[in-house]
Amino acid sequence: MKDVLALILAGGRVDELGVFTLYRPKSILPFGGLYRIIDFPMSNLMHSGIGRVGIFSQYRPFHLMEHIANGAPWDMVGRKRFATVLPPFKREGASDWYRGTADAVYQNLDFIRLNNPDLVLILSGDHVYKMDYRSIVEFHREKNADLTVAFTKVPREGAHRFGLGMIANEEPRGGRLMQYVEKPDRPAFDWASLTIYVFRPWILMEALEENARTNSHEFGRDIIPALLKNRNVYGFKHSGYWGYTRTPQEYWQTNMDLLGSKPKLNIDAWAVVTNLAHRDIQDRQPAFIGSSAVVRNSLLYSGCRVEGTVTNSILFPGVEIGDGAVVEDSILCFDTKIGKKARIMKTIIDNEVHAERNVAVGNARDGRLCLIGRGAHIPEGVAIPQGVTVFPNLGPAHFTGGHYKPGDIIK
Amino acid sequence: MRRTLTILLAGGVGSRLNILVRLRAKPAVPFGGQYRIIDFTLSNIANSGLTRVAVLTQYKPLSMMDHIGDGSSWDMSGRTRSVNILPPKTGEKDWDWYRGTADAVRQNLDFITSAGNCTDVLVLSGDHVYAMDYRPLVEFHRSFSAKVTIGMIRVPREETQNFGIGIVDNKHRIIDWEEKPKKARSNLASMGIYVFDRDYLVTMLRRTKEEDFGHHIIPKAMEEKNVYAYDFKGYWKDVGTIQAYWDANMDLLDPESDLKPEAWGTKTNVVAEGPPYDRQPIRIHDEAEVSNSAVSPGCVIKGQVRRSVLSPGVIVEKRVSINDSIIMHDTVIKSGTSVSKCIIDKRVTIGKGCIIGTGNAEAANYEFPEQLNSGITLIGKRATIPDGTKIGTNCIVYPMITKSDFRSLSIKDGSTLEKL
Repeated sequence: MKDVLALILAGGRVDELGVFTLYRPKSILPFGGLYRIIDFPMSNLMHSGIGRVGIFSQYRPFHLMEHIANGAPWDMVGRKRFATVLPPFKREGASDWYRGTADAVYQNLDFIRLNNPDLVLILSGDHVYKMDYRSIVEFHREKNADLTVAFTKVPREGAHRFGLGMIANEEPRGGRLMQYVEKPDRPAFDWASLTIYVFRPWILMEALEENARTNSHEFGRDIIPALLKNRNVYGFKHSGYWGYTRTPQEYWQTNMDLLGSKPKLNIDAWAVVTNLAHRDIQDRQPAFIGSSAVVRNSLLYSGCRVEGTVTNSILFPGVEIGDGAVVEDSILCFDTKIGKKARIMKTIIDNEVHAERNVAVGNARDGRLCLIGRGAHIPEGVAIPQGVTVFPNLGPAHFTGGHYKPGDIIK
Repeated sequence: MRRTLTILLAGGVGSRLNILVRLRAKPAVPFGGQYRIIDFTLSNIANSGLTRVAVLTQYKPLSMMDHIGDGSSWDMSGRTRSVNILPPKTGEKDWDWYRGTADAVRQNLDFITSAGNCTDVLVLSGDHVYAMDYRPLVEFHRSFSAKVTIGMIRVPREETQNFGIGIVDNKHRIIDWEEKPKKARSNLASMGIYVFDRDYLVTMLRRTKEEDFGHHIIPKAMEEKNVYAYDFKGYWKDVGTIQAYWDANMDLLDPESDLKPEAWGTKTNVVAEGPPYDRQPIRIHDEAEVSNSAVSPGCVIKGQVRRSVLSPGVIVEKRVSINDSIIMHDTVIKSGTSVSKCIIDKRVTIGKGCIIGTGNAEAANYEFPEQLNSGITLIGKRATIPDGTKIGTNCIVYPMITKSDFRSLSIKDGSTLEKL
C-alpha cells in the first residue's frame, strides 16, 4: 500500500460536545480508558500497511500534534513513511483558515502532488471502528472507480444526521452509487456515509479546483454530488461496530459498549495503538486497588489508585478514587481525583478534575448525564444534580451558588 | 555531569534467584508488575542527568539489549546523549568472559580512555531497587578530591553478613573493610556504587590484573588512604534472594513503604516487552474481587485476587483465588484454581482446578534449602501445569515444563520438578 496517501480530517470541534471540545478538536477526545478517537483511524492505517499520512488540524491543534508526535507509535517513521500534521497556513494572495473539509484538502493539494500517490484515501478522525482499508482500496481498483465512498447500514430513525446513499445491488461488497443526499430531513435510504473516501488523485484535484470557486466546501454536501453527475462513483458496504461520539450521550454510550461480559464493542481484538508517551502513560506504575476497594465491570489503567467502589465505569490513567467514594456508570479521564465518600453517578469527567470529599454528582443510570469540564475543582460537599454541565477550569470559588437544579450550566 | 562517564554492570547472574535467572540475567528479572530490576538504575542515571553511559552485559544479554533499545524510554538517546551496550568481545583468547567487575571494566577500558573531557567514572550495578540522585555523590567525591568514593547505606545489623562493610573515620574516610563478615564492626554496607577518579581507575586497571572491585581494587586503594564513604539514606533493596525479592514486590502494596516507582520517576520500556500493539486497559469483570493488589495493563480478571502483584496481560479466570503472589506477563490461571504465595514467571499456563502453593511452609526445598524455606513456590517461565495438579510449598517447577513431565499430579512440599 505504498502508493496510497491517507488524509485524516481531524480538525473539527463539534459544538454538541460542548465543554469537552473547548480546548481540543474532537479527534483527540479520550476514549475507552486509554485511547484518543484518532487512534482508531491511525491504528487501522497501520494495520492496513498505509504509512503515508497527512492529518488536517485546525481547532487548537497543540494536543493533537503532541499526540501524533512523529508518528512513531504507529510505525509511521521511515524514508517513505510519515504522519504529518497539516495546520492551516497563510499563502501569498489569499486564504488562511480551512473553510470546510474540501477546502482543507484543496489548500494542501501541493502536499498531495509532492507525494504523487496512485490513490488518495480520505478519512474522518471522529469515529470508533475497525476496518482494513485494503478491502475498499481493492474494491475501488477492481471497479476502476473515480471515487469510492464507504457506507454502513443504519436505522431510518436518526439517519437524518448522516449523508445517505443508494447503492446499486451489484454484489455483497457494494456497487455503483446511484444517489446521495447529505443529512436529509426525511431519510429515504438506509446506507450512511462513513466519511471514508478513496479518490483517483486527478479526479480529486479537478473537483477541488472547481469547488474552490464556490461558497460551500464540504465533501459530503458538495464534492460527492458533483462527481455523481459524470464520474464513476461507487458505494462500498462496511459492516461491524461503528461508534459515534458526536454528542455527550453518544460518547457515553460508545464507551459503555466496552463493558459487560460480552461487550458490544470488543476492541480487545482490534490491536489499537495509542501514543504511550503522551501524558506519560508509559511511566505510570501498575494500578493499585486498595484493601477496601470494590471494582466491578470496569476498565482502568496504570497510574490509577482505587480505594472506593467503582462499578460500570471507565477510569483513565492516573485516576484516584478515595476511600468510601462511589463511582457508577461514569467515565473519568486522565488524572481526575475523587475525594473520600464522594458519589459520582452517570457522569463524564474530563482530565484533571478534582472533586473533594462528599461531593455528589449526577443521578442513577436512567438519569441525565452530567458533564464536568477539565480542570474543574469542586469543593467539599457540593451537590450537583443530574443533567448539569460544569465548564472547564472552574476553581472552588465558582461553586458558591449553593443549590443547583437539573440541567444547570455552571460557568 | 558531562564530565562523568557511567558504566552500568548489567551482567550479574544472581544465582540465588534460582529459576528466575535461569533464562535471564538478574538485572533483567521482572519486578513490581511492569519493571525490570535494571529499570531502577537506568532511571536513576537518566534522572541524574548522566548522558555518557555504557551498559556491560554478559549473561544472556539478548532480552536486555531489546529492553534497553536505544535508551529512548529513559530519554537517553539524542545528539548529546547515548547508551552504548558493550557485550563481552573476543580478545586474544577465544572468548574472554568477564571474570569480575574490575575485569569487565578493564576489557572495555577504551570506552574510558577514548572519552574526551572526563574527570570521573561512576560504576553501577543493575541489581538493586532504589531511587538515588547520583549528583550529590559525584559532588561529594570531587569535594574530597577522592580517588574512590563508595556509595554506602546503613543496613540492619543482622544483614551485615550479606554485604561488604566499611569502617570509616570521622572524615568519611574508609579505614577498614570487611567482606561479608560473620560479625561486623559497622553496619555501613556497600551499595556496589563506585565513583573513581578517571586517571586513577585507568592506572589501577592497567597496572594490575585484579578482577573485582570489592575484593581487590578497593582494599588496594584504601592502603593509599584515599577511599571515601558516601552515606546514602532512602529506600534501597538488594533483591538478590527469593525472600527479599518477594518482600520488595509486596512493598509496592504497602502504603507505608517508601517504594514509589512512579513518584521516583522510574521508567521502563513497555514496548519491547509486549505485543506489537498497546496492551488494552485492565478489565475487571462483574464477578471479580480484587483487593490490595497492583495490576498492570492487559490483565483480565474474573476471579479473586488479594495482596498480589500482576504484570501485564495476566488472565485470571472465574472461581480462581490468588493470594500473596507475584504473577508475570501473559500468564493464564484457569478456572477453579487456587494460587497462594507463588512467584509465577512469564507465559505460564496453570490448568483448571489446581491448588498451587498450599502446604506446610516449614518444609524447605530439598535441593535449595537456603534459597527456598519460607513457603514461596516458584513456577518457571512458560511452564504448563495440567488440570487438577496440586503443588505444595517451597516447590520449584522448572521453566518449559509440560504435561508429560509430570509423573504425578501431586507435587509434595519442598519438591523440585525438572524437565524429564
